[in-house]
Amino acid sequence: MGNAIHAAGLDVGYPGPHHPTTVLSGLDLDVEAGTFLSILGPSGCGKSTLLRVIADLIEPLAGEIRVLGETPRSVRSRRDVGFVFQDSTLLPWRTVRDNLRLPLQIGRGSLTRPIEDKTEELLALMSLSALADRFPHQLSGGQRQRAAIARALLGEPRLLLMDEPFGALDEITRDRLNDELLNLWRRTRTTILFVTHSIAEAVYLGERVIVLAANPGRVVADRDLQSVKQPGNRCSREDPVIVATMAGMRAALEAAS
Amino acid sequence: MIAHGGLSPTAQAVLPILGVGSLLVAWQFLLPAAGVPAYIVPTPSAIFAVFAKSGPLLLGNFWPTAIEAIAGFTIGNFSAILLAIVFVHSRILQAAYFPVVLFFNTIPVLALSPIIILIFGLGMTPKIVIAAVICFFPTLINMIRGLDSATANEHELFRVLSSNRSELFWRLRLPRALPMLFSSLRIASATAVIGAIVGEWIGSDKGLGALIIQATFNYQSDRLYAAIVLSSLLSIGLFLVVVTVERKLIRY
Repeated sequence: MGNAIHAAGLDVGYPGPHHPTTVLSGLDLDVEAGTFLSILGPSGCGKSTLLRVIADLIEPLAGEIRVLGETPRSVRSRRDVGFVFQDSTLLPWRTVRDNLRLPLQIGRGSLTRPIEDKTEELLALMSLSALADRFPHQLSGGQRQRAAIARALLGEPRLLLMDEPFGALDEITRDRLNDELLNLWRRTRTTILFVTHSIAEAVYLGERVIVLAANPGRVVADRDLQSVKQPGNRCSREDPVIVATMAGMRAALEAAS
Repeated sequence: MIAHGGLSPTAQAVLPILGVGSLLVAWQFLLPAAGVPAYIVPTPSAIFAVFAKSGPLLLGNFWPTAIEAIAGFTIGNFSAILLAIVFVHSRILQAAYFPVVLFFNTIPVLALSPIIILIFGLGMTPKIVIAAVICFFPTLINMIRGLDSATANEHELFRVLSSNRSELFWRLRLPRALPMLFSSLRIASATAVIGAIVGEWIGSDKGLGALIIQATFNYQSDRLYAAIVLSSLLSIGLFLVVVTVERKLIRY
């Protein structure tokens, strides 16, 4: 399988007349297609910015970025990338079903392949069928995030970018959604880039974990976890090897902060 | 029943009626007993009698005001909405012309009315213009804020989905703006009537404003109060229309 992401010498910043800020500096990263990659880092290290460069929401100042072998723009306009935000970003005036259908209704001009209406399938997959006619404010935080994930999956993207999607949820809901997400990934093998603050979540989910340091953002640690996990990216949160891995990641994160 | 301070639904429905009724009874019997002359405050029954006696006269003056208020409301709000759409799509035009709009808003409408009447004459047009001007500014401000109120994440979501400008407008900015638009339309439903009546005060021989002026000069206070009641009913009617449309459009 080829590379889903290839970044070399990536500089990202916001050019201001008075305070030009550098967010990412000289970032190199290669991610194999089909990988579940967790991205850890202190606040302000540019984790979210990295996702936004890949999704063609921000243009880098310098360096090379290829997504699925192409420019971020062509991948985005072909609808090959799905994005899940920390707040679900469900439109409050649409029901759950209509929120899921949004990708079918906009941006069709740049599509090169037809998008199948899998709304009902995804509602069922995410256990939302009974809630399909509710409005977002009538859902719990976990249900809202499930709807946001279902919406991101509607176009069957080859790359799923998740920006702290479970950051605002309670621990029980978060653990449950982690397992649902892993099951989904095992079935589809979509490349997932998952940004999180939580070391436990990063290690439990990722086949590979990278740690970014702040000021300027760069990769300071890169661990392949396939050797410490069972096949299919399976592990137990209580497994001593996993606990030890988390402790190692904590040390790397502390060094980066 | 705990809700609303422990009142039962029946009490919540009946108490406002009793409240209004008690005030009307006090007005009917206590004010005359206290020696307030009828030419200053006529009794509710006297005002009601005017409706029975001079119904055609009142209605004949009600409709011009209603038409002016509704036309002014429609034109003023519609042009405010259009200008807001132009402004949020062109920061250059907004930067150039918003200060001008802001300056015009500082001129009291009452001071502007004689000029509007000079320009448009004595027919219905100047009243419609005054009603429109009075509705325009609050709606413009609210609509601009509403159209700009989508969050950064919502804009990013639409960009990830490669939406074009018109999709962004119809599916994000406009629905986002509706709650703010309607809060200003609700206020405009009352101010449009004020605008029409103020216009009629300055130069008109028909309409509720003209009737109010005539009745005042002729000491026909029962007719004056009846005209006031009709103006208020007109505002309430417009308000109810706005709220009904709002409930239909904003269901969440």
